[in-house]
Amino acid sequence: MTNPLPNWLDPQPWLAHSQSTDLRAIENAIHSDHPTERELALMLSPAARPLLEPMAHRAQALTQRHFGRTISLYTPLYLSNFCNGGCLYCGIAADRRATRAVLDTQQLDHELDAITAAGLDEIVLLTGERMPEADTAYIREAIARAAQRLNNINIEVFPMRQEEYRSLAEAGCTGVTLYQETYNTTVYAQMHRWGDKRDFHARLDAPNRALRGGLRTLGLGVLLGLADPAADLIALYRHATHLLKTYWQAGITLSFPRIKPQMGGFQALHPVDETTLAQAIFALRICLPAVPLLLSTRESAAIRDGLAGVGISKMSVASKTTVGGYSDKVGDSTQQFSISDERSIASFCAMLRNKGLEPVFKNYDAIYREPTVYADAPSHNL
Amino acid sequence: MDTPLTFQNETLHSRLLIGTGKFANVSTMIEAVKASGSQLVTVALRRFNKAQAEDDLYGPLTQLKQVKLMPNTSGAMNAKEAIRAALLGRELSQSRFIKLEIHPNPHHLLPDPIETYEAAIELAKQDFLVLPYIPADPVLAKRLEQVGCAAVMPLGAAIGTGKGLATAEMIRIIIRDSQVPVIVDAGLRAPSQAAQAMEMGCEAVLVNSAIAAADNPIAMAAAFKTAVESGHAARNAGLMPTSEAAVASSPLTSFLSTHD
Repeated sequence: MTNPLPNWLDPQPWLAHSQSTDLRAIENAIHSDHPTERELALMLSPAARPLLEPMAHRAQALTQRHFGRTISLYTPLYLSNFCNGGCLYCGIAADRRATRAVLDTQQLDHELDAITAAGLDEIVLLTGERMPEADTAYIREAIARAAQRLNNINIEVFPMRQEEYRSLAEAGCTGVTLYQETYNTTVYAQMHRWGDKRDFHARLDAPNRALRGGLRTLGLGVLLGLADPAADLIALYRHATHLLKTYWQAGITLSFPRIKPQMGGFQALHPVDETTLAQAIFALRICLPAVPLLLSTRESAAIRDGLAGVGISKMSVASKTTVGGYSDKVGDSTQQFSISDERSIASFCAMLRNKGLEPVFKNYDAIYREPTVYADAPSHNL
Repeated sequence: MDTPLTFQNETLHSRLLIGTGKFANVSTMIEAVKASGSQLVTVALRRFNKAQAEDDLYGPLTQLKQVKLMPNTSGAMNAKEAIRAALLGRELSQSRFIKLEIHPNPHHLLPDPIETYEAAIELAKQDFLVLPYIPADPVLAKRLEQVGCAAVMPLGAAIGTGKGLATAEMIRIIIRDSQVPVIVDAGLRAPSQAAQAMEMGCEAVLVNSAIAAADNPIAMAAAFKTAVESGHAARNAGLMPTSEAAVASSPLTSFLSTHD
């Protein structure tokens, strides 16, 4: 028996709309001035597929209006693939026969130098679940080293306590990525077989701790393929809007990872094809015009080229998902998932420019901004 | 779908709030309040006058059993004065509600955001249900929510002007972002404007001049009552969207191999 979703998150009231066959209602949703959960659900309906083209045009127009003809770039940096997690879908879960590695400080410097030399200014530092090999103190040190070279340092690690997030913010961490993976509590329980991550509600609370700890941006996402994508995407939208209302100075971003082949051979329970992926991105852009939408190199060059600027405003580039992948100074480790778009930064940027989009490497905001402090909200607001 | 309007533990079934200070006489005011169905009426502190019955609005209003009183700080020029007025108002009315209004310029009566913010911090700490009258400023609205206001009341237009929802675009943003009720206060002239505010997603509207200055205030109060109910019902019913954008010709989805 799992705890139910809180009311503010539950997608259930809109699920019927996500199966609507009313083309006029879907068309109206696409052009709605004030889209809500209802319009999102309608746009996610399978019946909306013939209307993908007008959705794409509206998504592109809104992306241009809010982000200009630009794409922000970032790259992931795997610090460690040690993990005691039991995520059924992950290539580095504890029961995989993965080759484990963790960067020492010298190796980390080599990796950071390689990334800096490529001109990048934003990274995501990644680890597995909480492990002695890569604990909070280790991550804090990695952030501090990265902060000597780069302005925007995000982490995609394990959920922490508020004081831990505060200490990372003080070391120079600017954002945290924390996917709930799925908002379906039954599927969540099946997927997360053991460890801290089994506790759905503890993980759901982590973004509050991160933002109250002073991190400025928060990346949310669902792992597409685990559960009904429409239900998960509506809940994702509700999670994002709830956080935007509560932490109204925070930057929220959304990502759209799809289940990829990885060690362990997990097959998606609800496979999401590329058309459904595009539909999800267009629909969320229409409903959240000013929220950065991210697309990683998990996706193929063709899909990334098609979605750049058409909903998507921020993309990773030249990514490695192995520990020590950038500088080749570390022995082979197992990758978390396989990369589809292996183009170099130069060739990726050439593609963007060819599409009339300017790649943006730098974001200087971090230089003058301090960790956000939220006043203790009065009880009736919670 | 329909839920009552709540401020912390106070619940109201009417979404029309009424000002009481501009009527020709007390009996018209009382009849108008009855006709409006309002359950929350605001009274200026200066209209509490136990010594002189014809000038006292408080006594007659307390006879209306369905009605809660909300003293207001009208006349206060700064935070300090507003806090003092609020404390006196609570003493006299025994009500936790306070309509916080600080408008130092008598020519336009536009609210002072800085003094209002400072007063709100203190009044919320002192356990008032603070409903501040504010410029339609989305950031100010969030700041006031954060310090504990029970609602925010952006102006549709300047007090008494009857220019309706001149600030509609800003009010839409406030509604979208707010976690406390948004109530349009000031500027409304016609019941249709009150309905429009409710259709936009306001939780309530506050009307004063439009009723008091009508030829027949009692009939106008009844008209606002139905307009507010109608606008709220329309909001819940889900309005049809307005725009129908044309679709440009160059395809954006041809990269999708699975798309037919």
